[in-house]
Formats: sequence, structure tokens, C-alpha cells
Amino acid sequence: IELQCRPTLLPAFQTLPDSAVSAYAALLKDKGALVPALYKVIRENYSELLEPVCHQLFEFYRSGEPQLQRFTLQFLPELLWSLLSVSAARDPHTSGCIEALLLGIYNLEIVDKDGQSKVLSFTVPSLSKPSVYHEPSAIGSMALTEGALANHGLSRVVYSGPLLQRENFTAQNRFEVLTFLLLCYNAALSYMSSTSLQSLCQISSRVCICGYPRQQIRRYKGMSTRMTVTSEFLVQLLTGIHYAWCNGEAELGSKALDDVLYRAQLELFPEALLVGNAIKSTQQGAALKSNTKEGARSIQVEITPTASRISRNAVTSLSIRGHRWKRHVDLGSPDELMDISEADEGLWPGGMAPDITPPTITISNSVTTLNLGAKAMKMCRLGGRGSKEKETSPLPAGRAASESAEASVKRLTLTSSQSVPKAGTLTSLTRTASAVFSRSFEQVAAGSAPPSSTHAAPEAGHYSCSLQEEGTGYLNHTQRSPSISVHLGSDL
Amino acid sequence: MTAKKSGSRLETEIERCRSEGQWDKIPELVRQLSAKLISNGLCLEKVPAASPTEREQEIITCYEKSGDIALLYLQEAEKVCVSGIQNRSPKPGPTSQDQELGYFLETGLQRAHVIHFKNGNLTQGVGRFREILRAVETRTTQNLRMTIARQLAEILLRGMCEQSYWSPVEDPPTVSPLDDPTRQGHVQSKKYSLSRRPRLFKTIYCQCCNENTEEALLLLLISESMANRDAVLSRIPEHNNDRIISLQSASVVYDLLTIALGRRGQYEMLSECLERAMKFAFEEFHLWYQLALSLMAAGKSARAVKVLKECIRLKPDDPTIPLLAVKLCIGPLHWLDEGECFAKMVIDMGEKAAEFRAKGHLAIGLVYSLKATDASLRSTQEEYQRKALGAFQRAQSLSPTDHLAAFYLALQLAVSRQIPEALGYVRQALQLQGDDVHSLHLLALLLSAQKHYQDGLNIIEMALSEYPENFNLLYTKVKLESMCRGSEEALLTCKHMLQIWKSFYNLTNPSDSGRGSSLLDRAVADRRQLNAMTLPDFSDPDTGSVHATSIAASRVEQALSEVASSLQSSAPKHGPLHPWLTLAQIWLHAAEVYIGMSKPAEASACTQEAANLFPTSHNVLFMRGQIAELRGNIDEAKRWYEEALSINPTHVKTMQRLGLILHQLQRYSLSEKVLRDAVQVNSTAHDVWNSLGEVLQAQGNAAAATECFLTALELEASSPILPFTIIPRAL
Repeated sequence: IELQCRPTLLPAFQTLPDSAVSAYAALLKDKGALVPALYKVIRENYSELLEPVCHQLFEFYRSGEPQLQRFTLQFLPELLWSLLSVSAARDPHTSGCIEALLLGIYNLEIVDKDGQSKVLSFTVPSLSKPSVYHEPSAIGSMALTEGALANHGLSRVVYSGPLLQRENFTAQNRFEVLTFLLLCYNAALSYMSSTSLQSLCQISSRVCICGYPRQQIRRYKGMSTRMTVTSEFLVQLLTGIHYAWCNGEAELGSKALDDVLYRAQLELFPEALLVGNAIKSTQQGAALKSNTKEGARSIQVEITPTASRISRNAVTSLSIRGHRWKRHVDLGSPDELMDISEADEGLWPGGMAPDITPPTITISNSVTTLNLGAKAMKMCRLGGRGSKEKETSPLPAGRAASESAEASVKRLTLTSSQSVPKAGTLTSLTRTASAVFSRSFEQVAAGSAPPSSTHAAPEAGHYSCSLQEEGTGYLNHTQRSPSISVHLGSDL
Repeated sequence: MTAKKSGSRLETEIERCRSEGQWDKIPELVRQLSAKLISNGLCLEKVPAASPTEREQEIITCYEKSGDIALLYLQEAEKVCVSGIQNRSPKPGPTSQDQELGYFLETGLQRAHVIHFKNGNLTQGVGRFREILRAVETRTTQNLRMTIARQLAEILLRGMCEQSYWSPVEDPPTVSPLDDPTRQGHVQSKKYSLSRRPRLFKTIYCQCCNENTEEALLLLLISESMANRDAVLSRIPEHNNDRIISLQSASVVYDLLTIALGRRGQYEMLSECLERAMKFAFEEFHLWYQLALSLMAAGKSARAVKVLKECIRLKPDDPTIPLLAVKLCIGPLHWLDEGECFAKMVIDMGEKAAEFRAKGHLAIGLVYSLKATDASLRSTQEEYQRKALGAFQRAQSLSPTDHLAAFYLALQLAVSRQIPEALGYVRQALQLQGDDVHSLHLLALLLSAQKHYQDGLNIIEMALSEYPENFNLLYTKVKLESMCRGSEEALLTCKHMLQIWKSFYNLTNPSDSGRGSSLLDRAVADRRQLNAMTLPDFSDPDTGSVHATSIAASRVEQALSEVASSLQSSAPKHGPLHPWLTLAQIWLHAAEVYIGMSKPAEASACTQEAANLFPTSHNVLFMRGQIAELRGNIDEAKRWYEEALSINPTHVKTMQRLGLILHQLQRYSLSEKVLRDAVQVNSTAHDVWNSLGEVLQAQGNAAAATECFLTALELEASSPILPFTIIPRAL
């Protein structure tokens, strides 16, 4: 019934004034049976309605009205399949109007409103420049590689295009055009109906497996010649499949992903394998969660416990950053020490002068054990409230202090290289540091009980360490305060 | 109601403390306030309500407010702590390092967007995510920010597209396809007011995001820098769990980075990111494999092969990995011995490799075929050719529907001059894949070997209608045209090639490197890039350093000239050098046509154009020699040929011309030596055999001369217009 009404409905568009276009687009959306009817026409391939339909779809696209353009785009997967299957079957004359439609869309999309060739740009964000979400100074761990330095402060913009106008499909330009069309389709993915997403998944599967042994497993009959594909084309297909998978088409999506990966393996396409593997691996984690709501077009998040679940005494990249390895510690001369501090990558991402050693030395001198005890107490109180054990009463001061000592001993294990408890010549300092380091390291490694006394001499060193860490953290965060560097100068 | 009242009481108390400077009291009060709000929200969720939308709004307000207060509190707390240190005062602040978000704060910060998403309200959910992330971070919120940044990136990549995206500094669209349509329409603005809001990052002079992939990428980079910091490095068994946790959180981030960067084709950057992931990667196949693939996609072939070796160790049963390695070894690297090893791995898998078994045989066939071309001894050449033929036959029988197997079998047969058999297989390949450019090219060359030049030309023209910009086909066309339609036509084709080249590469976008205005500038810049590009690939740490450098030097030269002489493929994505090689090649072809027309001046001009691009190419020097010969300057020609041979000692055409000149100069024994060398290099060059025969005749060695002439005659009968090896061989 709709098929009869379609020819009367669609041509009416041409006589519409510009102002009525959007109203017409809204009307089109409400015609529920129209879309399936159009799918049928495109799939039939030999229907005499195909030509007027293609023409009409192109008129929609040319109107520039986003809703009408999306109406046309939703048929793109099916149109791609017709084109590819016909050209694989080497029957070049039947798909003339589909070719014309696709080329028409392509030629419209590669130019901007004034008819100039469009250049697509993509700005690669860089952490070395501030953004709405971060400040570069807060991210201390940027690897100081040659590449990072070369790109420092530059925001990279990647361009693609301008693309050539195409008048016909050849074996050479076919996938270039189709890849670009898929890019346009992917840009409007959120607006695509689930029918369109389903057909995208189906045609991806078919394009990838036709003519290969897997075709038997999928029980798809209809084509048995292999279709050439390119890696970029598969990557664009994967983008759409990924969206479909996350938005209600889990089953078809996972099938399509498997088939694309299968083909990418056979063709040895690194790009498609890379993206496909990544999608598969993220999806394996998420599959357990999203199964509950099959078919729903929504994305769920859950409350995730964000507290660091990594135990304190594990050696991490962060904790190891300030560490000076033992063989370096034995080096005597100050020059060499400076070399090492230089090698500690990334503490000061702004590229600071190499002749400044970490300005933590002076802070430790001003700290007394007493202060620390009180401080630790406060900490325990605050931390205790927040934690799930719900400790209500503050701990006795002595215990708190010993606990904080324990914590700092643990944290100390690898950062002690920076701990310089008392002023003196650098050589003797390093010796102390190395001694403290190795002792505490052995302690932790052997799993022995933390020291109970808070007044023994080595522990004083530990306290200063924990404070220093805060110091560096702070310094890291804002600018180094000038008083400290003055101190340093006198020390050296 | 009482809860609300006490909430406002707390608020006034906080203000009082602020004005009185009792900073240490504030955190505690704020904490209480936000906890109160959250418990409010939790209670409201439990109580059944008459009007669900209103209730929902109330709940969300509770959570959002408490979240904001929590952020504010954390910022203030950190300020207190920081100022405590700055003043060196003993004033204790919370030790931020050890602090964790409590249950209440965490809920307050996350519950609001969770509810938004549950209700299908993606727009508001994303908005809430962004609000949290835009607040200036504190030490305590770092872990939360890492998680939330990752989640937001996930949503941007999975649930949005460019057209439905709005930037974080813009207002969200009122109607969006992202929201559940049944619930659309009640998008309220914030109903509550706070006297102070959390500090946000400054938005002036900052990078902004224009599309969802960009924002996702930024978030992922932030998240990555944090995840990377938490990499657990110690390998003792007690830390096993920690290691798994840190690995999991990082590998999700890296997978999302791969998806985002892959969409935009930024494989170079991706390979750098994944390299940072290597501190997690010990014995982790997925990360190694992804690194290898990204290196491969970024064109860092030598490193990719090394990483692939590790992948093979971790997963010895997967035939794809060694095949990828072979692809690199026979493609950009030309490491044939290594390629042979990898291909043998696939073959040794036997039945386990299933569909990849045929590929394995194909790969080893290609390795042998390339080795045969490289070999300098005739016996080894023939040995490799035999092996290659066997491997291709095996591949073809294992996978009769693969056009590549049939095509390479045909190519190998053609190289060993079994023309009729080759024709049979190339037809088979064309039946399987009708528009394969290499099969069509081979068919044309085979027809030319049978001296059906016109048919060959027809095939080439047909192929060109499908591949109008394929320079390889066009070179053959030039040759065939000058053969059967005269030089004028061939010159027209050369002109056409120059036009195609211009339209092809003049459109290059601004991110391409060569910015110089004149061709020369560009070529110079490009050559510098070539050195930077190729040298690292050749420095092999396994061999001795002195040896390696000398090898490297000669191989760079070789690479430069080899690529120039046998243009690999016409795809325009082979790096910035490729266009200039093509251009030089076009000029040289034009020069050759002019030489055929006996026009030395024009030929010399064309050669000069090519020489501007690649002055040390042996092809340029050879062409200069030919021009000199045409002008009658035998001595000059000899000098040019000698120079060409000093760059490429195995250039057969040069050897043949040099041999002829030496013959003219009556230095027979030297001429004989050169020509015999040439025959060793390429035993199928009929004109070399012919020249050798002439030299032997002049020396009075009639019997040997006859044999040479006969060989030449026989070879000529099956010689194509251009050598079959101009067709690229790659997996």
C-alpha cells in the first residue's frame, strides 16, 4: 500500500517552497511504513522504482536540511552493499542510479557551502597546554622523550583532504569514495534508526566473509565471490559497528566485529586489526554489565569505587620516580648526583634548568617530631571518618604517631634517595641516604614489624621523608617558592 | 524537613567560620553538610513517591549539590594544607596523600550522573560529568577524576557522533537524539544555589574541543597519565593483585585510545602512547600485540618486527602474527632471511593454521622469489626460482579460490619464461578477481612477450579505465605505444602522466611537509627526510658497529636507487618521498622516448629535470650516458656508465651499454668481462647475450658466439616489453 503512496508522496517535495522543507521532513519521519518500503526497493536491485527512489533520495540530500540528509543517509549501508555486490558480480549496468546517488552525495560532501573543497581538520590535543579539564603543571609524569619535547607547546592539527571530485566509480577510487561516505554516515550515527544500524552490521559481515570459508558457518547465501576491501574502509565500518554494539545491537554487532576481524587477519591489515582488537577487548569487560538491558539504546554507568586499590607498599611508577638506584648512590661527586636528578624524568614538566637539585632538602630541617605526631593525629581523625570502618573516636596520640611512622616507612622504601635529613657535604649525605634506604627496604621486603618507638634516630629521618613528599607535591603543583631555592644555593 | 533545616544551619555555620578565619573547622562542617545531603537523597530514592518526575528532580538536586559541596570542601582542604606548608607553621592539615574519598563523598559525586544515565538522560549525564571534571583537581580527587575521565571518554566514543556533539563550553542542545525520547522535555536548569561553587579550570586561552573524538582523546590522555603513574612495577607474588588492578585500569584506557586515534588515523601518536604502556606489558599478549600493530600501521617496520617476535613467543599458535612479520620483511624491510623464518613458522603449524596455511606457502614463495631476483649466482637463482614455484603451486592447491595464489604462480612462471602456462594462471586469477590491477598488468606483459603488442596495449588501456592514476600501468603504456603507435603517442602519454601527477599531488593538504616553492627545495627537504627515515631501520645492533654503518651507507644508496628504478606501487601513501620518485620516473620515461626519436636536446632537458630531484640515481646517470652516446661522445658516455655502475654495480642495462662501448673501443676482453658479469646478474636479458655474442665473434671465438646468439634468439622470443619484476611482490 505504501509503495503506491510513495510515488505520490515523494515528488510532492520538489514543488515545496524552502520554508516548508523542515515541516516536510517532520512529516516524513511520521510515515512509519515508508522506510521499510524503501529498503525493499533498494534490496530488490532490479525494481523499476529504484531510479525514482534514488533520484528522490539525492534531492533530499541536496536540500541541505539536516533531517532530510539523515533520512537519505540511513539507507547508506544498504546502498553500499548493492553497489559492492553488483561490482563484484561484474554486472556494471544495473547499479547506475545507485552509483550516481552515492557519487552525488560524495561530491556534495567534499565541498563546503561556497563550493570550495573542504579540508577536514582534527586537532590532536596535547597535555602540555591547559584545557578545560587540566592544567599542564598538575600532570607531572609526562615522559620527557625527544618526541614530547619536539611537540612541546605545539598543538598538532591533522588535515585530510581536499578530495577530488569524482565523476564515476573505478576500481581505484571506489573505496576512497565509500570510505568517505562511511565517514559521513558515522558523523550522524546517533540519528540513525536501529534498522539502519542493523543493516550496517549485516552488510559488514557479508562484505567480509563472502567467498571465504566462514560464509558456510554464517549460512549466508547469495554471493560467493570475494570482495576487495581496504583497511581504512574496515576501520570506518568498525566505528559504526562499535556504536551499534553499544546501542542496542549487541548480538549483530559482535557478530559483525568478529567477521571484520576475521577478514582483517586474512588480509593482514594492521589498522583494522588494531581497532578491532581494542573494541573487542573493551567489550569483553563490559559485556557482563550491559547484558541486563538487551535492546535498550542507552549507555549505563555505575558508581565505581575510585579509591586507589593498589596497596601502598607496591612499587609503582610514581613511587619509583624519585628513586636513585644503588649503583648511582655510590657515586661521590656532586656533578654526578646532578646528572641523576636530571634523569629523574618529568618531575618538573616545564623543562627546568638542570642545575637545580630537588629543593626538598631544607624543609626537613624545620620539622620536629612533635609536630608530626599532632599532624598524624589529625590525619587519622579525618581519614577515619571517611573510611568505611567508621572509627569515631580519635586514636591515642602515641598510636597515631606510630601508625604514621609505619606508613611513612612503607612509603619511604624507594623514595629515600631524596631524603637528606641533615645538612652536610653531599657525599656523606648520600651515604646516609643509601644506608637508610637499604635498611628500610630490607625491613619491608622481609615483612618485619614496623618499629614501635617513634623517637629512635633513623625514624626521624623517615618523618622528614614523608613531609618532603608533600613538599615536592606542592612544589610540583604550583611554582617553586623562591626561599627554598635560595637555601639550596647555599647548600651547594 | 528537619534535615533541610539543619543543612541550611550548617551552611550558615560554614560562612561564619569563613569570616572568622577558622579554616580548620570548615572542612569538617562541609563534610557533614554533604553527607547530610546524600543521606537525604538516598532516603528519597527509597520512599515511593506520588509524582516521580518531581521526586527525581529532588533526588538529583540533592546529589548534585552534595557533589559540588564535596568538591568545594576538598579544594578548600587542600588550600589549607598547602598554606600550612607555605608558612612553615605547625598547623596541621589533612595529609592529602593518605586521604581517600569517603563513602559519602564518593556517592555524592557519582550518584547524580548514574541516575541521569539510568533515566536515559545522556545530555544531562554528560553535563554532570563535565562539571565534575572541570573543577580544579585536588590530590584526593585524582583517582575519581581518572575514573570519570575514562567513563566520559567511553560515552563520547560509544554513544555520540560528530553531529550530536556539543562542546563543553557550550550549552547542551535542548533536543538531542541521545536522550530517551519518552522522557525528553523536562530538562531543568539547576534549581539550587550555592554561595560558592568549586573552582573551575580557566577556560581562557585553552584548547577547546571541536568534536567528540577530540574531547575523548583529551580525556584519555589525562586518564592515561594518571593510570601510567599507578603502574605496579614490583613483581613479587604479594603484589600480584595490585598488578592486575593497575593493568586492567590502564588497558581499558589504552584500548579506548586506540579506538579514538584509529578513527582519525593517528597511528604514529598511537604507537607512542602504546609504548608508554609497555611498563604494564610484561607477559601481557594484548598490549604487545597492539603495540606491534600500531608500529606497523605507523610505518615503523623494524621495531614492529621485533615486537612481533615477542608476540610470537607469547602466543605461538596464532598464524597471523608471523604472517604480519613476513609482510613487513618482504615489504618495506627486505629482510628476506628473517621473512623465511617467519613463513616457515606458519608452515610448521600445519593443519592448525587452517585458512592461513595457504598464506604461509604464499609467503615463503614470495621470499624465495625475491631472493631469486637478488641472487647474483645463476645456480642459486634457479634454485630459488624452483623453490618459489613449488611454494606457489602448494598455495594454489590449498586455496584454489585465492586469486593471489594464482597470480603469483603466474608471475613466477612468467619470470622463468614459461609464457603459455603463466597465461593460463593469470586468466584463472582474473576470473577470481576481475579488476585486480597486477593481474591485468601481468596479462599485458605476457601478451607483449608473445609479441602481441596491440593486444597488450588494449589490456593496458582497459586496466587504465579502472585505474586511471596507476603510474606502473602508464609506464608500460608508454613503452607499448612507442612500439606500435609511434613516439608521438608515447609522448602524449608522458604529458598525461605529468598532468595526473600534478592533480594528484598538488592537492596535498597543509599537513604535508614539503613547503618549498620550487621543486628543488622540496626534493632537498625530502631527501633529508629519507635519510632520517631509512637510517634507523638499517642500524642493526646485532652486527658490529663499523660493519653496520658501512652496510647502512650502501643500503641507503641502494634503497634510493632501487625504489627509483622499480616503483613499488602507485598508492600515494608511501611517505613523502614517493611523489618525487614518481615524478623523476616520468621524466626519465619521457627522456627515453626522446632518445628513441633521436632528439638528444629534449632528452637531455628531461633528464635534467629528473637529476634535479635525484642527482645520484643510477638511472639518471645511465640516461645521460645514452644521450652522450646518441650525440656521438663515446668517451663521455663511457664515463657516465662507469659512474652509474659505481652507484649500482648490478644495473644490467648499463653493463650492456658499457660492454658495447668497450667493444667499439676494441677493448674486447674487458667488454667480455662486463657482459659476462651482466649475464650472471640477469641471465634472461637477450640483448646482453647478443652483445656478448658480438664481442666473442670479434675475438674470433665463433663457436661460443653462436651459442650466445642462439640463446639471445631464444630469449628474445619470450621477452616482455618491460621486465616482469616491475610488478610489485607483496603480501
